[in-house]
Amino acid sequence: MTPVQALDFIRVLPEIVLASCAILVMVAEPFVSARHTAALAWVSLIGIVAAGAGNAWMRRFSGPAFGGSIAADPFASYFVYLLLLAAALTLLGSVRYLETNQVHHGEFYALLLLGTTGACLMVAATELIMIFIGLEISSISTYILAGFRRADKRSNEACLKYFLLGSFATAFLLYGIAFIYGLTGTTNLVQLSEKLSAPGARPPLLWIALILAFVGLGFKVSTVPFHIWTPDVYQGAPAPVTAFLSVAPKAAAFAVILRVFLGGLASAGALVFWLLWISALLTMCLGNLAALWQTNIKRLLAYSAIAHAGYVLVGMAAAKAAGPEAGEGIASVLFYLAAYALMNVAAFILVAHLAGAGERYQEADDCTGLAYQRPGVAACLTLLLVSLSGFPATAGFFAKFYVFRAAIHAHLIGLTLVAVLNSVVAVYYYLRVVVAMYMREGNPRASASPLPWPLGAALALSLVGIFYLGLFPTPFVRLANLAASPLP
Amino acid sequence: MLRDYLPILVQLIAVSTVGAAILAVSAWVGKRRPSREKLSPYECGSVPVGNARERFSISFYLVGMLFILFDVEAVFLYPWAVVYKSLKWFGFLEMFLYILVLLAGYLYIWKKGALDWTR
Amino acid sequence: MNFFHTHVLSIVLFFPLAGLIPLLFIPGENKNALRWWANIVFLADFLLALLLVFWFGKEPAQEGLFKFVEKHTWIPSIGAQYHLGIDGISFLLIMLTLVLGFLSVLSSWTAIQERVKEYYAMFLLLQVGMLGVFMSLDFFLFYVFWEVMLVPMYFIIGVWGGPRKLYAAIKFFLYTLAGSVLMLLGILTLYFRYHRDTGVYTFNLLDLMQHANSWPLELQFWVFWAFMIGFAIKVPMFPFHTWLPDAHVEAPTAGSVILAGVLLKMGTYGFIRFSLPLLPQASSNPKVVKIMVTLSIIAIIYGALVSLMQRDMKKLIAYSSVSHLGFCTLGIFALNPHGLSGSVIQQINHGISTGALFLIVGLIYERRHTREIAELGGLSNVMPVYATLFMIVMLSSIGLPLLNGFIGEFTILQGAFEVNWRWAAWAVVGIVLGAAYLLWLYQRTMFGPCDNPKNQVLKDLNLREAMTLIPLILWAFWIGLYPKPFFKVLEQPVTAIVERVNPGFGTQQAVSQAGVPSPVSEVTGGRGE
Repeated sequence: MTPVQALDFIRVLPEIVLASCAILVMVAEPFVSARHTAALAWVSLIGIVAAGAGNAWMRRFSGPAFGGSIAADPFASYFVYLLLLAAALTLLGSVRYLETNQVHHGEFYALLLLGTTGACLMVAATELIMIFIGLEISSISTYILAGFRRADKRSNEACLKYFLLGSFATAFLLYGIAFIYGLTGTTNLVQLSEKLSAPGARPPLLWIALILAFVGLGFKVSTVPFHIWTPDVYQGAPAPVTAFLSVAPKAAAFAVILRVFLGGLASAGALVFWLLWISALLTMCLGNLAALWQTNIKRLLAYSAIAHAGYVLVGMAAAKAAGPEAGEGIASVLFYLAAYALMNVAAFILVAHLAGAGERYQEADDCTGLAYQRPGVAACLTLLLVSLSGFPATAGFFAKFYVFRAAIHAHLIGLTLVAVLNSVVAVYYYLRVVVAMYMREGNPRASASPLPWPLGAALALSLVGIFYLGLFPTPFVRLANLAASPLP
Repeated sequence: MLRDYLPILVQLIAVSTVGAAILAVSAWVGKRRPSREKLSPYECGSVPVGNARERFSISFYLVGMLFILFDVEAVFLYPWAVVYKSLKWFGFLEMFLYILVLLAGYLYIWKKGALDWTR
Repeated sequence: MNFFHTHVLSIVLFFPLAGLIPLLFIPGENKNALRWWANIVFLADFLLALLLVFWFGKEPAQEGLFKFVEKHTWIPSIGAQYHLGIDGISFLLIMLTLVLGFLSVLSSWTAIQERVKEYYAMFLLLQVGMLGVFMSLDFFLFYVFWEVMLVPMYFIIGVWGGPRKLYAAIKFFLYTLAGSVLMLLGILTLYFRYHRDTGVYTFNLLDLMQHANSWPLELQFWVFWAFMIGFAIKVPMFPFHTWLPDAHVEAPTAGSVILAGVLLKMGTYGFIRFSLPLLPQASSNPKVVKIMVTLSIIAIIYGALVSLMQRDMKKLIAYSSVSHLGFCTLGIFALNPHGLSGSVIQQINHGISTGALFLIVGLIYERRHTREIAELGGLSNVMPVYATLFMIVMLSSIGLPLLNGFIGEFTILQGAFEVNWRWAAWAVVGIVLGAAYLLWLYQRTMFGPCDNPKNQVLKDLNLREAMTLIPLILWAFWIGLYPKPFFKVLEQPVTAIVERVNPGFGTQQAVSQAGVPSPVSEVTGGRGE
C-alpha cells in the first residue's frame, strides 16, 4: 500500500472544504443569535463556492487518491460541480423559506453541506466501500433534512419513510457489495473490472450481486418499482429540501451506477443492459402516467422526477448497448443530469415560495390566476415547466434530444419511441399548472408576495443556465464528453 | 494447524480461571449486608417493577444516544492504536483531526444544552 | 447595406423578437401604446421583407436553389447549423406569413381588451417561430422553430379563447406535439444514416438531399410515415383532423387567422420541403401515393360535407379548411409540376381566403357575440360594405374565375388529371360542394329580411376593419388576374422537386403527350383509388 501523500488530500479538496465548512457552521450555530442565522447561510455559500474553486484547482492534479479508493478525474469533477450547483441553488432558495416557516436553524445549512459532501464522495469513489460511506453520509443528512419542519406531520412522515426505506435499500446495496467481495475478493472497481474481464472469470452468482446492488441504487434514483417512497417524501419534505433531494443524491447515485455498472461490472453485459432497459421503460411510463392524475404540484413534480430518471436510464441503456462506444451515451446522461439539476431545483424552490408559510398552498388550483398578479413569477414557473417538458430552446429539450440521439445511435429504437411518446404525455401534466396560472379566472391563494432576492437570484441563474444549455450547448457537451471519456 | 489455536485455548482457560477465582474469592471473603435495594434486580437505575406506561425523561434518551455515539467513535481508536507505529506522524495528525471533529460535536451538543439535565 | 443584404433573412426573422423586448417594458395599463407598438413592429417587419420581393428575382441562387443563404456553425458537436435560405416556395409562404401576421394583429385592436401585453407578446413569438420554420435549411433548427411555435399558439387559444378553450388548446398542443416528436425520430434516423454513409453528422438539408437517392426503400418508408404523421396532423389530413375544428372555434379571431392561414401550411410545406426531396422513392411509391391521394380526396369531400351541416360560421370555415387543404395534399402527391405548383398557390390562396373568412366571422362576432348562422340574416341591408367584402372573399374561396381560388384549384386539378382522371373527378365534387356550403352560408347570413332586432342596429365596418380585409382581397385579385409572377417564382423549385421524385419526368411527359401512356400514370393511375 502506497503511503498517503499530500496529493491525496488535494484530490479530495472539495469534500474537505465542504466538510470543514459544515462543521464550522454547526459549531457556530449555537453561538449565533437567532436573528443572525442567515449569516450562516452566507458562510455555507462561501464554502460551496470555495469547494467549487477547489474543484477547479484540483484539475491539475487529477489521479487516484488514497490507494485507489477515490479518483479525481473529469467525471468526478463534472459531478462535483453539478452537486455544488444544486446545493448552492437550494441554499439560495431556502434562506427566506426557513424564516417564513419558522424553522430557521443553522443546522439546515450544515446538513446541506454534509449531504453534498457525501454525494461528492460518492461520485469520486472508485471503491465499493467508499461509495457506501459516501452514500451513508449523504443519506443520513438528507433523512434529517426531510424532517426539518418538525412541527409538521407530513414532514415527519417523509422523514420516517425516507429513513426506513432508505436504510432498507442501503442494506441491499451493502449486501450486494458483500456478494461482490465474496465472489471476486476485491471491492476496488478497477481491480474488479480486471478480474471480471479476465478470460474464464465469470463467478456464477454474480447476477445476484448485480441485482442487489441495483436495487439499492435504484432506490436512490427512484426507479420503478423502487420509487414508492418518492411521492410521499417529496411532498412531505420541506420544498427546498425536496429540491435538493430530487437532484443531489439522485445525480450521485446515477454517477455510481455509471461507475459500477458501466465501469467495474461492465463485463456482465447482457444482464446489466436488460436491468437498465427494463427499469428505463417502467420508470418513464409509470412516472408519467402517475403524474397525469396529480393535482398537488409537489407530488406532480415528484412523479415528473421519477419520469426524468427514466429518461436518464434510457441514456444509460444506450451507453451499455453501444459497447465500446459508450462515451456518447454517458455524455448524454451527464448532460441530462446537468439540465435536470437546473430545472428541478429551480422548480422546487419556486414552489417553496408559492406554497407560503406552512406550505399550505401546494395544489395547482392554488395558483389560479397567478399570472395576472405576479406575471414574473408565473412566467418563470412556466419557463421551468416548459423546459422540464422538453421544449426546444431550453435545456430540457437539448438534454432529451441528446439522450434520444444516443439511444437511436445504439439502435434502441423501441425504447426511444416509448421515451418520445412519454415526453408528449408529460406535457399534459406540466401544462396543468400553466393552465391554472394563465387560463383560469380567479385570485391565487398561493403566496403572491414578491420574490425574495436570494430566490430571485437563484431563479435567474437557473433560467440563464437553462437557455444557455438549450441554445448553445456546445461547451457543455464538450465538458460532458470529456467527463465521460475516462470511464472504462 | 491445530497448534495455531493453542493461544485461544490458553486464553479460554485463563479467562474462566480468573472469572471463577474472582467469584469464589468475593463469595469467601466478602461481607454480606443485604438490603431491599441490593436484593432487587439490577436495571440501570430504574425501578424494575411498576406501571409499563411510565414516562421517561426525554433527556434520558438524549444522553443515551450521545453516549452511544461517542462510544462508537471511540472504537475507532483501537484499530488505529494497532497500526499507530507504522503510521507515524501522519497517523497522529489524522487522529488529532478526528478527535477535533468529535470535540466540535461535543462543543455543539454542550452549547445546545443537550447535556443539561435540568433544562 | 451589404450587411443588411446578406443577413436579410435573420433580420426579418428576429425583428419581432427584438420588438418584443420594448413591448415588455410598456406598462400593461397603457393598452393603446401596446397596440400601436405591436402593429408597428409587424408592419415594419413586413416592410423589411418587401425588400425581399425586389431582390428575390435578381438574387443569384447560392446553394441549390436557395437564396439569401446564411450559414454559421451552431452546435458543432451534433452537426447542427444556423442555416437559413429561401427558394420560391418558402418565399411565398414567408410573404403570406408576414401579411397575415400584420393583419391579424391589426384585427385584434378592439377584439382583445384583456391581457393585451401578453397577447401581443405571444403573437410576436409566434411570428418568429413561423418565419423560422419556412426559412430553416437545417433540420435541427427547423425542429426548434416548429416546436417553439406551439407554445405561443397554445397560449393564444388557451388564454384568449372561447368557452371550451382549455380543451381545445390542450388537444391542439398534444396532437401536434405527438406528431412532431415522431417526426424528430424520423429526422434522427436520416441523420444517423447519413453519418453511416459519410462519417459526418449533419442536419443540413442540402447535404442530406444529396444522399437521399442511395437510401434503401425500407428506411425511406419508415421515415416517410414518421414524417407523414407529423405533417398530416399539422395539415390536417383526414384521420388526424379532429383537433382543427375545436382549435379554430375556440381560438380568438386573430389566432384562427394565423392557425388557418399559416400553421396549416407548415404541414404541406413539410411534405414539399422534406418528404418529397429527402425520400423520393418512398414518396413516389405507388402504394404511398395511393394512400395519400385517397386520404386527400376523403378530406376534400368529407370536409365539404361536414361544412354543409354546420350551424356555427366558424366551425363551417374550419371544416372547409380540411377540404381545401385536401386539395393541397392532392396536388403534392400528383407529383408533377402542375400539381405541386398548384398546391403551393392553393396554400397561399387558402391563407388569403380562409384568413379573410375568419376575419369576417370575427368582425361579426365582435358585434353580435354569436356565430350562429340562424341568429344572423339579412345583414347586407345594414352592413353593405361588410356584405360586399364578404361576397368577394367567399367567391375567392369557392374558386370563381378572376379570383385566386380558381387558379390554385384549376392547376391542381390539371396536375391530378395528368396522372389519373378519376382523382380529378372526385376532387371536382369537392369544388361543387364547396360552392354549395359557402353560397348557402352567404345566403343565410346576408340575404333575406333583416328581422332580428339585434341585427338591425349593427354598424358597418370602420376604416381599420376594412383595411384588414382589403389587402387580402387585392392579393386575391392579383393572383386571380395575373398569376404569372407566382408561377414563375415557383417554377424552378417545383421542377427540381419533381425531378427528384420523378426522375426524367420531362421526357415522360413528352412521350405521354405523343399518345403513349406515361409509365408514371400507368403505375400510379392503374390503381388510382
